Amino acid sequence: MTDEPNNENPAINVYSHRQNPLKNKLGIRVPTNEDGHLDPENIKEADKLIAKMCLGCEDNIAQQLEKIADLWTDMQKAENTDIRNEKAQEIFTCTHEIKDIAALCGYTLAAHFAESLRDYISETALNLKNQRIIIQAHIDAMNAVHKGKLKEDGGPIADELKKMVKIAINKYR
Amino acid sequence: MPPITGRNTPEPYNLRNFSVLLVEDSIYMQTLVSEMLRVFGVGDILTCANAKEATDLLTIAQARTTSRYINKIDILLTDWLMPNGNGKDLLNWVRTHDNDDIRFLPIIVISGFTTEKLTNDTRDLGANEILVKPISGKLLASRICSVIDSPRAFIDAPGFFGPDRRRQYFAFTGKDRRSAVPNLVEKNI
Repeated sequence: MTDEPNNENPAINVYSHRQNPLKNKLGIRVPTNEDGHLDPENIKEADKLIAKMCLGCEDNIAQQLEKIADLWTDMQKAENTDIRNEKAQEIFTCTHEIKDIAALCGYTLAAHFAESLRDYISETALNLKNQRIIIQAHIDAMNAVHKGKLKEDGGPIADELKKMVKIAINKYR
Repeated sequence: MPPITGRNTPEPYNLRNFSVLLVEDSIYMQTLVSEMLRVFGVGDILTCANAKEATDLLTIAQARTTSRYINKIDILLTDWLMPNGNGKDLLNWVRTHDNDDIRFLPIIVISGFTTEKLTNDTRDLGANEILVKPISGKLLASRICSVIDSPRAFIDAPGFFGPDRRRQYFAFTGKDRRSAVPNLVEKNI
């Protein structure tokens, strides 16, 4: 390694903004060099929207769980690897959606299992029996969480469910 | 007690003239985020479900001469994980585009992933900000204010085009071993 500069001289351009176009769009009464803010009342209103959306959260999770159950059945029947992968991708999308919705609405446990299944399904080949057991364990756990309406950490039942999934992963991975 | 409204209290930002493109495949999240933007007062909110739709829309919107009905987009909000073209594809497309109105577009990535790798990937692909789910009013507002208040200079270097990845500058006391002096370009963007 040398301290001498190399002679290739790669071109590096630094584009500075002649003006701030977004700030210009705000209007002339806004001080140009100060950080601004949105109306705190609007932020509160946005949080109320989240709370309102969360009222329908359980139904939405139920729909996604039904979809996952159907996809999982189809995936197990599929003999073609391409079809299995396609179904796995769809399950991945559903679990990702559950994770987003559940985390947003305070269903931490449901989000935990959804994330766990999402990560598992994305990193593994899906044609082995052992791996199918792990996926089934996740689905059972998510159904139990949903039927028990377990919010936040879920207490002792949550611990049992987490233990069940962990055992399945450790034993069959 | 009357509200404090002195000269030193800046007014809240009025986003009425802003046009925001939201790219999100989940209808649930798309509805939520677009409603939040509406509550924030964003004048024009466009939505797409994947990168492919977004690139088509951006092509039309940023070439303002071809459409009178779509405003030029000011901020792009995109989910990271989507079928049929994800956030990575979209960032790549935007930051390598020939049209300055597209390639300099402020981008906020919304993601449910919270890994260091994702943060590095989005930064190295030229995202301005990352917003990790679960979303809240305060988080969304802070990212929008950040792209308005702190438009970092864009760096065009071999293998990278995007906002300066350094957010803080520290005096360097060692020997300067840079092979080239950066060429400073002022841009009306």
